[in-house]
Amino acid sequence: MASNQKNMTPQQQKYQQLQQRHELKRPVLKNCIRAFWVGGLICIVGQAISYFYIYFFNFTEQNVGNPTVATMVFLSMLLTGFGIYDRLGQFGGAGSAVPVTGFGNAVISAAIEHRTEGFVLGVGGNMFKLAGSVILFGVFSAFVVALIKTLLGMWGVL
Amino acid sequence: MVYIIRLMLIACVILMGSCSQDQNEKDSQLALMKTTNPNPIVTEQNKGVDKVKKIEKEVSSFDEIYDVAVVKGKKATLVVYKVKHMQRFNMKKIEANLNKTLEENYPKENFTVSSDYKIFLEAVRLVERKNTGKLSEKQAEKRLNEIIKMTSDMK
Repeated sequence: MASNQKNMTPQQQKYQQLQQRHELKRPVLKNCIRAFWVGGLICIVGQAISYFYIYFFNFTEQNVGNPTVATMVFLSMLLTGFGIYDRLGQFGGAGSAVPVTGFGNAVISAAIEHRTEGFVLGVGGNMFKLAGSVILFGVFSAFVVALIKTLLGMWGVL
Repeated sequence: MVYIIRLMLIACVILMGSCSQDQNEKDSQLALMKTTNPNPIVTEQNKGVDKVKKIEKEVSSFDEIYDVAVVKGKKATLVVYKVKHMQRFNMKKIEANLNKTLEENYPKENFTVSSDYKIFLEAVRLVERKNTGKLSEKQAEKRLNEIIKMTSDMK
């Protein structure tokens, strides 16, 4: 950064100082608090859904995560379609993107964005543009972890 | 937007209203959120009641455990408990310790130990239904075996 400033002309340096004076400060603390609340609320909903599955279906604590995640992703997809999740994302930022609901939002928002290009090349070809890397990374890291666990099991470490 | 929020509020009110039905089974409705400590039961009338009470007392004496349900059947005894929040990192260790203690003190008993919320809920439901007379001895035994099978499916 310092070397960059050295290479600048006096006019450029003056302009940068002016820009820094007028630049709006990022409300980091406010954003963090908002993300905390929105993320926390999404998690409360997820917990309520998992309790619902435990109470009314034969899901145990160990396997209740599967239907809960599916439901949360489905709900976020619906909310994205209705345009509600976008507003939540604008307000909560990372609080709405980091939980699993952000995955559903990433899929559907890409699908909506490209629907004018047709169902196959538009929606089908682009809906996993953002979420595809998440799926790939998840599957690959699960494979690596399973491989390590299997090898450790075979060697008698686990 | 306002319309959707109103719809969601109405849905919440209906959901809450529907949860207040059948007031007789109050304990099991909140079993996952509050401490219930149900009385230990035996599926066979007057057989080993003192023993299950002793088992419950022993399990409750563990510092990491705070809510215990014990159901004794003809062949197996189900011990379900909740672990204190910060101790949940040591779940396996606690289960192993509990198993060891129970096997040492009651070598003739066949214990099934679990800290799963679903198993706890089902055990509380079984205790309630047995105490209110909704289940006969035979039905209670059958239900107990189903719950035990559920725990073995998890392993």
